Amino acid sequence: MAVKVLDRRKMIWVNGLLLALLVLSIVGCTLLGPVRLDLSQALQNIFSANPDAEILFRARLPRVLLGVAIGGGMAACGVVLQALLRNPLACPQMIGVSGGASLGGILGLIFFPHWLLPIAGGLLGEISWVPLAAFLGALLSMVLIYRFSLFHGRLHPYHLLLSGVIFNAFIGAVIIFLNSIVDFYQAQGLLFWLMGSLSTRAYLTVGFIWAYIVLGFLWLWTKGLSLNLITLGEEAAMQLGVETGALQRQIFVASSLMIGAMVSVSGMIGFVGLMIPHVMRLVVGSDHRLLLPASFLAGGIFLCWADTLARILLTPAELPVGIITAFFGGPFFIFLLYRDGAKKLAL
Amino acid sequence: MNTMNHRERIITVYLFAVSLIVLYCNSILAAEAPGPQRVVSLAPSVTETLFALGFGDRLVGVTTYCDYPPEARRLPKIGGFMSPSLEAIVDKKPDVVIGVNTATDPAKAREMERLGLKVNLISVASLNDILAGIKSVARLMGSSEAGEKLVLKIERQFSQVKKRVAPAPRRSTLLVVGLRPLVAVGGKNYIDELITLAGGDNIAGNAAQPWLNLPDEYVVAKAPQVIIEAGMGSERAAPAQHWGDLKSIPAVKEERVFSYPSDKILRPGPRVGEGLEEIARMVHPECFAESKPGLKRRNGCEGSRP
Repeated sequence: MAVKVLDRRKMIWVNGLLLALLVLSIVGCTLLGPVRLDLSQALQNIFSANPDAEILFRARLPRVLLGVAIGGGMAACGVVLQALLRNPLACPQMIGVSGGASLGGILGLIFFPHWLLPIAGGLLGEISWVPLAAFLGALLSMVLIYRFSLFHGRLHPYHLLLSGVIFNAFIGAVIIFLNSIVDFYQAQGLLFWLMGSLSTRAYLTVGFIWAYIVLGFLWLWTKGLSLNLITLGEEAAMQLGVETGALQRQIFVASSLMIGAMVSVSGMIGFVGLMIPHVMRLVVGSDHRLLLPASFLAGGIFLCWADTLARILLTPAELPVGIITAFFGGPFFIFLLYRDGAKKLAL
Repeated sequence: MNTMNHRERIITVYLFAVSLIVLYCNSILAAEAPGPQRVVSLAPSVTETLFALGFGDRLVGVTTYCDYPPEARRLPKIGGFMSPSLEAIVDKKPDVVIGVNTATDPAKAREMERLGLKVNLISVASLNDILAGIKSVARLMGSSEAGEKLVLKIERQFSQVKKRVAPAPRRSTLLVVGLRPLVAVGGKNYIDELITLAGGDNIAGNAAQPWLNLPDEYVVAKAPQVIIEAGMGSERAAPAQHWGDLKSIPAVKEERVFSYPSDKILRPGPRVGEGLEEIARMVHPECFAESKPGLKRRNGCEGSRP
């Protein structure tokens, strides 16, 4: 059933609807916030010191766009990891790369929290070294985990899963150790960073992440059919002509690169990568050619709204967005599971 | 000799003897000074309070964060601020353990009590709490007068600053202890009271939480006239850089974005009076102009002074 002909009408219909919802969500979330906004004022003098324009274009829009990219990327990575590891519990937070990125980011926050790297000689602005350190941590941990899990040129799903979980546990211990030896106020900052936040005003960072995530996603999408075959079992996939060894390695590297970049800029925002793939599987079925884009779009919509709630719910305080994703996502997922029964949950 | 009769002589000797006994008893009492002799402090602010009251020599254990006054650094350590070591505390054989109720876990306090330690936790939620806490620590140490004197000194510092900034109009103020994320002083926090006393108006003062994470748009909408970054380990240029792109914020436009890491502001101890003056100097520099020549005098303070 997983290899059946792609229903093009369903494909266009589902993704078109989700894309429209995503655009509406971006507009809606940019207009919503804890403070009132005069839209006509905001659009009049965009480049002068105009508070409404600053709220709209500096405080909100980049943040909403970042949320869409991170939500989409996390959900897409969740889909491919659940297929690759053949485990419904697989998620971006699990494979070790996120732990490595966290540790890199924490070390950056401790040792050079304010260093800036000029882009194109400062013409395009500057970006903080903290996400770069986090990405470096992600790359190093990816190489390590890859080496640990490679046996006879093949990435074994169980090895990948176990080494990822154990690596994350180890990194978690290192992070808690670092957190307990730094200054009291710095420790608070580290905890906040770990909890994850989409707060940003840097279009440059948002642009980088968008380009990166979209490219990664498109590449994963091209592997949709092979992913369908892999979920049938490795032997079956091989018999059907999929180079499973190479595919597994490529997908692991691609999703690790995406997750590393996402954790680097937004910290550990959990639940999107675990839940959205399952929800979309219940809604659109498990054909990865459709599931991947649908999850990408739905993840963007979900995180965009979750972050808006995080900004609004406890005004003036801002909640960690991870709390919202778990609080609203969990019960919704249970509801879908209850309604449709467990039968469709199988990969 | 005839002038002093027998009875008078007896009374004189009697009085002399009584006064000797009284003096002797006094000296015994003086040698055994009142109050606990061995004290463990579980918070930097408590350590500062004990030193300010003149009981620094009775401290037998402090946290690794206790670095003021400098003598405190040399005292034996009993662990961190949030995570003191029970073993280390018991090992010091203290007569009393003093901490603050926001940092010391109540379960840990009960555990210490079960081990036979006398535990005293003071509240530091408001300025009143801080002053009452200083008095109660002084009472506990057996010298209520020292407490009254120290509190009076702090209250005098408060009223001096209040008088200074009284003529100036209130300036909306944001005080943060971190930029990423933006952690601000909310309501129900003694620093919120300090901002008000300094002639400021905390833009997050209506929040229910004492500390909160603020979204950028809230800061833009509230348009603070003064932004203070008081967090430890912040770099001088970082706050100005951080806010640089939000030109509509008056604090950014008028260059009132300050980076001022200060224990005096962040520690709810005997130096809060000095902390208040530090905040006031940033919120209303013009009111302290004579002590800092070269600063431009702006409206408000010079208005009332000829």
